[in-house]
Amino acid sequence: MIALLSFRRLFAAHAGRFVAALALSLATLAAGVALLGLSGWFLTAAFLASAAASFNLFGPSAAVRGLSMLRIASRYGEKLAGHDATLKVLAEIRGWTFRALGRGGLDLGRSLRRGDAVARLTADVDALDSVFIVAAGPLATGALIGLGLTALLGVLLPAAAPVYGLAMASALIGAPLLLVAATRRLGADAVRLSAELRMATLDALEGRADLVAFGATEAARRRSAAIAERLARVRRGLAARAGLASAAVAVCAGAGALGLLVASLEAHAAGALSGPLVVGLVLAALGGFEATAVVVRAIGKFGAAAAAAERLKTINDAVCPVAEALRPPPLPRGGGFAFDRVTYGYDTGRPVLRALSFSVAAGERVAIVGPSGAGKSTLAALLLRLADPQAGRVSVAGRDLREAASSDLLRRVALLEQHAPIFGGSARENLAIGDPFADDAALWAALRKARLDDVIAALHGGLDAPLGEAGGTLSAGQARRLCLARTLLSPAEILVLDEPTSGLDRATERAFLEDLGPATEGRTVLLITHAALPEGVADRTLRLVDGVAIEATP
Amino acid sequence: MTNDARTTSARTAARAAARRLSALSRGAAAPLALAAGAPLVGGLLLIAQAALMARALDGAISGGTTRADLAPVLLAIAGLIVARAGLGFVGDCAAAAAAETVKRRLRNDLFRRLLAGDAVAAADRRSGALASALVDQVEALDGFVARFLPAAVQAALLPLAFAAAAFAYDVTVGLLFLLTAPLIPAFMALVGWGAQAAGDAQAAALARLSGRFADRLRGLTTLRLFGRLEAEAAALEAATDELRVRTLRVLRIAFLSSAVLEFFAALGVAGVALYVGLSYLGLVDLRAAPLTLGAGLACLLLAPEVYQPLRLLAAHHHDRAAAIAAVQEIERQFGALATSDFTLAAPALVRCDDGPWAIEASALTLRTSDGVTILDRADLRASAGARIAVVGPSGAGKSTLLDALARLRPAEGTIRLGARALAGIPEARLRAGLGYVGQRSRLFHGTIADNIRLGDASASDDAVRRAADRAAALPFVERLPDGFETLVGEGGLGLSGGEAQRIALARLYLRDPAAILLDEPTAHLDAATERLVLDRLLTFARGRTMLVATHSATVADAMDGVLRFEAGRLAPCGPRQPRASLVKDAAA
Repeated sequence: MIALLSFRRLFAAHAGRFVAALALSLATLAAGVALLGLSGWFLTAAFLASAAASFNLFGPSAAVRGLSMLRIASRYGEKLAGHDATLKVLAEIRGWTFRALGRGGLDLGRSLRRGDAVARLTADVDALDSVFIVAAGPLATGALIGLGLTALLGVLLPAAAPVYGLAMASALIGAPLLLVAATRRLGADAVRLSAELRMATLDALEGRADLVAFGATEAARRRSAAIAERLARVRRGLAARAGLASAAVAVCAGAGALGLLVASLEAHAAGALSGPLVVGLVLAALGGFEATAVVVRAIGKFGAAAAAAERLKTINDAVCPVAEALRPPPLPRGGGFAFDRVTYGYDTGRPVLRALSFSVAAGERVAIVGPSGAGKSTLAALLLRLADPQAGRVSVAGRDLREAASSDLLRRVALLEQHAPIFGGSARENLAIGDPFADDAALWAALRKARLDDVIAALHGGLDAPLGEAGGTLSAGQARRLCLARTLLSPAEILVLDEPTSGLDRATERAFLEDLGPATEGRTVLLITHAALPEGVADRTLRLVDGVAIEATP
Repeated sequence: MTNDARTTSARTAARAAARRLSALSRGAAAPLALAAGAPLVGGLLLIAQAALMARALDGAISGGTTRADLAPVLLAIAGLIVARAGLGFVGDCAAAAAAETVKRRLRNDLFRRLLAGDAVAAADRRSGALASALVDQVEALDGFVARFLPAAVQAALLPLAFAAAAFAYDVTVGLLFLLTAPLIPAFMALVGWGAQAAGDAQAAALARLSGRFADRLRGLTTLRLFGRLEAEAAALEAATDELRVRTLRVLRIAFLSSAVLEFFAALGVAGVALYVGLSYLGLVDLRAAPLTLGAGLACLLLAPEVYQPLRLLAAHHHDRAAAIAAVQEIERQFGALATSDFTLAAPALVRCDDGPWAIEASALTLRTSDGVTILDRADLRASAGARIAVVGPSGAGKSTLLDALARLRPAEGTIRLGARALAGIPEARLRAGLGYVGQRSRLFHGTIADNIRLGDASASDDAVRRAADRAAALPFVERLPDGFETLVGEGGLGLSGGEAQRIALARLYLRDPAAILLDEPTAHLDAATERLVLDRLLTFARGRTMLVATHSATVADAMDGVLRFEAGRLAPCGPRQPRASLVKDAAA
């Protein structure tokens, strides 16, 4: 709930739109209540009237028609205004999320590569976005209608006001609060079991060979079925509590209406309240049920939005893993870099890199090889300062990275990530990420160096041809080459290429590596690879074993 | 494809998905019947409640009924209110039971399909989407089963029941209900058609935009490294806001359908009020006998209820759309998984004691998933009890060969283990007799002890500890704060490649295989640990046949023979090959 409040500024910026939507939905409800009450009053008054001549027909019938029209119009307006406000906020929440995530560190980049983290983020943004339309709005209007009717009773039938007010308060406030309290633990269980199910699925997918080889598939199936069973039980428990709350709300609202009926009949018998007013009030109270009927559902959505806000807020509150130096001096010229006794581990105490030292001179081409998990990609991340070493220093052109401006560093060092994505859109859009101001000639030159110019030229639309979702129309090798072209477009003097040939078949890999020399002419290159390197690709090769680099070949 | 054709094919796909959805729901027919039936009974009770309410008001206002006469009526109303709330509760619980049954069955079915799929693990990106389909997309069916289906039944039947009740009071009111209620869906459809095409286009635009958001999130690090974060954030905001403007243009038409619903509902209430009122005043005279106040009030009380089920259905309509989209996504993710007639196995750990299995293959052809031939009609033989290394450059196909020998991927040609054709060995017998540790063994979510017990679920703590010791894993496990109880795998402590590999090896030591296939068992280890691991392996391999794919000269030298794997051929090499004969590529 508190996390939800921290997003109030995003919503407050569009307070006008939300107030309009709220007012319109209040008008819709109020018109419904008034229509029913007025109809009851009119009908009874007409019954009691001795003659048509003495009855003012015009007023009530005009009011009935007017209220009908008001309800139709305000319902329409309410929906439109609510969606307008929601979409307006959606744009901002997305922007906010994106910027907040942008400050995140290395681990975040890894988790985002998995599709599910992205799916959960998008779902969270949507849940937070719709909190007004599905939760806050109905609760607020419901409370206002209940308050309004109680106030009306206070004037017309003071005896019934406390009973009715209490009943509405129990329905609109008491039952929801009880529901929230009664479902907190089960709600957490449901989240935990969903996470377990997700992990069991990932385990079965990626560990299938191990499960089959050890004859453990049946055990894995039983385990996952047990989790699904527990999850179903928890969710049924949640539904039963929500159902109980709905029943309680219905009984409270019914008790309010019944209390009103009894009180008004008493008042009528005492001659304090006319027949038409009795019927009018009772029907108006029944009309108010429209407001209480949605309470439980709104509370559920509110809970979901609060949880989403909680998760999004965590992203924002995450401490930025690298601190930007205050007024750093400009980076000296030069394309050399060095690691000096660098130690780094994702879990402190279990370092991936242990006092690693090596240096690369400007214009040198150095290959880093070693088994997977040896820390090769970590090394690249440190050079781009996605994280700071726990001991030792990384320097570019002789300057410790902690004393350099990140904008300077990113202009000096460019990384071709191991899992670099192709963005949806055209080749031009993808290349523009490397250099947004490059002209067509520069784009083609980069494509030529990556030996992709023929492929792009053959596309219908060339640079502007859509490449399909995640570059689906390109082969793995072509996609990798496009990422290389993007990196080559960057003016950086130091290029870090992390497994540039992963996913390529051997022939393509060879061709790619042979092109690499001419394509990166004049720049410093750090080539991280598993592949067997053809002659002349690298000036020297370092082997990374157990977090320490060993010179492998001259 | 033209826009029209695209919309048509999208609709056909949606219809097919809707049919699959109905088929899934039939699996929970009994609770569903209760979920739909309870609110129906509640609706009928509402008719009685309206009648009693009207009688109480009528009695007090026109008849001068005494308080004593009213008491039982009021009690009956209270009883009905409680009974309806109770029925609502029963309906909610039944709806949840139905939805949970459907979701649980589907999840179990999908999980089975997942285990029965192709052995080659999907790429990281895909597995995330698959897990999301099994967890999140299946969850999206909830609203359809629990809310939309019962609401649809109510919308079809309750207005008619209310109209029938109204006929008992007044034919005109009954006709008004009967005509307006069924008209609503018709008019909504009419308005809806206009909005549909535009709405579809808009939904597609929204999906594209969400896709773009997800796309940019996935590449967030890339954008950051190229200094493009702020520009992309601003572009995202601008695109979403532009969509808002366009969406509102469409919503102006789309929301007409809710205005139509409101129009008829208001028409019903106002129409009844005016008609009954005018009848009382004698200005309208369609009846033989005068209408009582009670009958008029009962009609008015029923009026808003006639339209309520339709409003409920409209409110849950997006649940259906969301479920259809979810079914399509699930099919898209899981449809791609090839299903074989693979049976889930729980082998007896005690194998038939038939001594070490010889490993033979003839005319073996292997292809990668994208069709590149890595082994072309090659022959291979490792006699019973032999220890053979398979060497060759990375990517040559050593792992693929081992996977094929372990029946984890299809292969052409004949493979024989212990003189039986691999294809004919029952799954349980094969797994009990064949030990296999892959190159990138999975650490499962659980403790280290759990992970080692994959080898033998019933192994004692002591046996687990001994196995870890033999795999040279004991020193680092003991250094961990929780020792064997340390959580690892997804959501747990990350182990290094070498540590994970040794945990995987420990699983093997809990078993008693006749043949062992190992893929790079020492890839991540320093020389001393490699020597230790190798010695233990050689000890364990006595009386078993062992095939080891390796890059390490130390490992290869310790074997009885070496097979070199290069460019689609397998050839024996090295001086010592007493018990392994490897025979050339048949094509040579």
